Amino acid sequence: MRFRPAWAYIDGIREFGRFFCQTTFGTAELAERARLIIQETLENAVKYSSKSPESELELMIRASDDVIEFAVSSFPDPAHMENLKKELDGLNARDPEQAYLAAFERASTETQASARLGLARIRYEGGVELSLREEEGGRVCITASGKL
Amino acid sequence: MNALTAVKPPKLETVTIRVEESGRIAFKGTITTENPSADVGAFMLALHKAALADKRDSVEIDVSGLTFVNSSAIRLFIDWASWLRIPGKPPPYVLRICASRTITWQKTSFMALRSLAAGIIQVHEVD
Repeated sequence: MRFRPAWAYIDGIREFGRFFCQTTFGTAELAERARLIIQETLENAVKYSSKSPESELELMIRASDDVIEFAVSSFPDPAHMENLKKELDGLNARDPEQAYLAAFERASTETQASARLGLARIRYEGGVELSLREEEGGRVCITASGKL
Repeated sequence: MNALTAVKPPKLETVTIRVEESGRIAFKGTITTENPSADVGAFMLALHKAALADKRDSVEIDVSGLTFVNSSAIRLFIDWASWLRIPGKPPPYVLRICASRTITWQKTSFMALRSLAAGIIQVHEVD
């Protein structure tokens, strides 16, 4: 699915993803995980997308054997890239629950900053691992992959 | 009428908020807006100020009908807990949260919040 990075699309795409996973894989638990993963990855991509005309987002949901992947490709503002890498490195250095608790603690002490809970939430609540791939032309793909 | 029950909830498209006569506040629906602090957060802050004015021992919120929220909405509950944290003193009141044990975001978020704000937040789980 490709679309312009607009907040207005997120609710519809999230609910479609939930419906798609429920219908295709037949489990309410996976559908709920999909709902969360799609919401938070798209929010992140929309918030930090470049304003240029080519900054379309792409969401791909792919399943093979017992693995499901949600990949969101975007064209982020270059200023955001280093923060994103640092955030992911910090998250991946801890187990999902510890990283989630640490994100809560940070949010409670940095009350004026943005929440920055989304990625930790995806890993812990969504039961997936996150990876980042830089593509040609400045595009970036965040992939969330976990058990079906 | 006391200050808490006089607080008017915002009228929003995806979530219904009701302030009951007892002072219990019930949320139903979803919160996924870009900046929920502007409306839901402002409402929570008004409730907090009213609870202080009323000198309440506790405030009860029922989020068991809140089926889905984004992380910006979770942040609002973290903020509420931080308003009650006064170094070296007990909290001015306890925030009692009625949450569903079957809704994932509620289980995970309030588990984390409870560990972060022991003595400030009490979570009562319902089916």
